[in-house]
Amino acid sequence: LAAMFADGTAPGADVESLWRSARTKSCQTEQISTVETAAQSHTSRDATVQTDQSKDALQDFQQEVQVDYTSLLSFLQRVEDAVIKELNKNWKSRAFDGFEVNWTDQNEAVLCLHTLSYPEAQDQNLQVTSVSWNATGSVVACSYGRLDGGDWSTEKSYVCTWNLDRRGLNPQHPDLVVDVPSSVMCLAFHPSQPALIAGGLFSGELVVWDTSRTEDPVMWRTGMTDDTHTDPVYQVNWLPDAKHRNNSRLLSVSTDGKILVWREERDGRLALAEGFAMVAQQIPRSTWLKKFTGGEAAVGVTSLSFSHFDHRVFIVGVEGGYSLKCSTAAETLALHPTRSSVPLRAPAELAFSPHGGPVYSVSCSPFHRNLFLSCGTDGQVHLHSMLQTQPLISLQLSKKYLFCVRWSPVRPLVFAAASGEGDVYLFDFEKSSQKPAVSIKQAAGECPVYCLEFNIKQTQLLAAGDATGTVKVWQLSSDFTEQGPRELNRLEQLASEITD
Amino acid sequence: MAEVEETLKRIQAHRGVVATIVVNAEGIPIRTTLDNSTTVQYAGLLHQLTMKARSTVRDIDPQNDLTFLRIRSKKHEIMVAPDKEYLLIVIQNPCE
Repeated sequence: LAAMFADGTAPGADVESLWRSARTKSCQTEQISTVETAAQSHTSRDATVQTDQSKDALQDFQQEVQVDYTSLLSFLQRVEDAVIKELNKNWKSRAFDGFEVNWTDQNEAVLCLHTLSYPEAQDQNLQVTSVSWNATGSVVACSYGRLDGGDWSTEKSYVCTWNLDRRGLNPQHPDLVVDVPSSVMCLAFHPSQPALIAGGLFSGELVVWDTSRTEDPVMWRTGMTDDTHTDPVYQVNWLPDAKHRNNSRLLSVSTDGKILVWREERDGRLALAEGFAMVAQQIPRSTWLKKFTGGEAAVGVTSLSFSHFDHRVFIVGVEGGYSLKCSTAAETLALHPTRSSVPLRAPAELAFSPHGGPVYSVSCSPFHRNLFLSCGTDGQVHLHSMLQTQPLISLQLSKKYLFCVRWSPVRPLVFAAASGEGDVYLFDFEKSSQKPAVSIKQAAGECPVYCLEFNIKQTQLLAAGDATGTVKVWQLSSDFTEQGPRELNRLEQLASEITD
Repeated sequence: MAEVEETLKRIQAHRGVVATIVVNAEGIPIRTTLDNSTTVQYAGLLHQLTMKARSTVRDIDPQNDLTFLRIRSKKHEIMVAPDKEYLLIVIQNPCE
C-alpha cells in the first residue's frame, strides 16, 4: 500500500524575540533652535555733519575750559620778567629802522595790460558807463550806454564780460554779450557769487543777469511798476541780507530822489523791501546851507557809498552838490509825493559842505571809519570826515568834471579819480597832499573817463572805462599795492586834523 | 585768580602792547584782550608755529630748547613765551 503524500505549504513559524522590544518613535527632526540677531542697526553715530557757516559769535571759551589758576599763576610769574624785558628792548630798539623786505616782484611803472572793447558797441558810438570786477577778480564786466544821452533815450545797450585769466583772451571779443533794450547806467557784480551781475537802466529798472546761463541770462527784474524809479538808476549795490544769510538785497539810487532796497521773489521779480526818499525840506540844515543860494536844490541822488565799519551808515552824493550822511536806521517818514508799496523814510542826518556843482561819486574809506571822498563837476575831490561839515582837504584835480573817485582797497592813503580830460589820477597822501602821484592818460584827446574800479582780489589791477567805448585794465606799480608800515597812523593823523 | 589778572594787566599796560593772549597746552585760549574770532586765529596759528620752532631748535641740538619766539612784521611784533603747559602771546606795536 502506497501512503498518500500530497504537496502542501505550511505557514512559517514566527518566533518572537524575548529580549528585543520595539517602540514607535517620531522620526521628524527636532525644532531647530534659532536666535534672533539684529540685521538693522539700531544704534547710530554721526560720521559727518554739514553746517552752514555761521556768523554767530563763538561761545565764550573762557567758561568752558577748566583753568588751574595756581599753575597759570606760576607760569605767568616765571615768564613775566622775560616778557617785560623783551617789550622794553623792543620799544627802544632802532634795529629795524628803515628795514624793509620785498616779498613780491617790484613793478616800477604803471602798464596798460589790456585794452578791451566791443566793436559793435563802438560803431554805435556807445560809451562805457560802468565797470565792475566779479567776486573772484578774474572777470571784468562793462556796460555800454550813453551818459550824455539827453532827456530820453531808447538806445539799445550791451553788457560785456571778459575773463582776463582765460587763455585765448580776445580783447575785441567779449566772452559774453548781453543785449539790453535800454541804456545800462551802472553795474555791480555780486560780492560772493561770481556769475551774478546787477545793472541799473536808464528807464529806472533794475535787472540781474546770471552770466553762467547761456540761453536767457536774465534772472530777476523789477519791471515797470509803481515802485520803480522814475529817473535813470545811477548806482546799484548789493547789500548783505541780515535775515537770510545766503541772499543779498539790491540797492538802487536814482535822480528821482529815491534810494530803494529790493529783494528777490520766486517768480523772477524784484520786489521792494524798503526804501528811502530824499526830500529837500527834510535835509538837515546848518548855517552855511541857508546862505547857499541853491536852497531848494534838487535832491536827485547820483551816488552812494556804505561805510565799511558801520553797515547802517551810508553817504550819498546829490545833484545839488553836497554829500549827506544817512542811516538805514532812520525812522521818520519821507514827505515824498509819489506813493509806493512800502513806506519811504528820510535817512539824512548831516549835510556836508557843497561842491561847486553836482556830486558824481562818493567813496567811504575801507581803513578809517570817518573818512570819505567826494568828487563832482567842479573838478575837485573833497576829503571829508563824517564828524564835521567842512572838508579836511580840497583838491582841484581837473579843469573839467571828475566822474568817479575810489579809495584803494590795499593802501589806506591812496585813491584814484577819473576825469573828463581823459586822465586817471592816482593820488597818494604819503607822497604829496597837493598833486597826484601818477597821472595815467587813458584816451587821447579830451575823451572823458567815466568809471573806474580797483580789483579787490588782484590788487595791482585797476579797470577804467571811457567815452570811446574802451575799457583799459591798468597794472599798478608796486608802491600802489603794498601797505607801508606807518600808513594807518598817517591816515589817523589826517582824519584828526579837524578844524573847529 | 586776582594775581593772574593783575599780572596780565601789567603786561597789557606796557608801552605799545596791542593785545595779550594766554593759550593752554592744547592750543585753546584761556585769557585774551581781543575779540573771540581773532583770538582763536592767533592761538591756533601761533601754537603750531611755536611747536615747529621748538622742534627745529631741538633737532639741530637735542640739548637745546626754545625759550622765546619773536616775529617781526611790517605792522607789529608778536612775542611768544612758551612753556610746558601754557603759551603767552603778546602783540606790540613798536615805536618809530
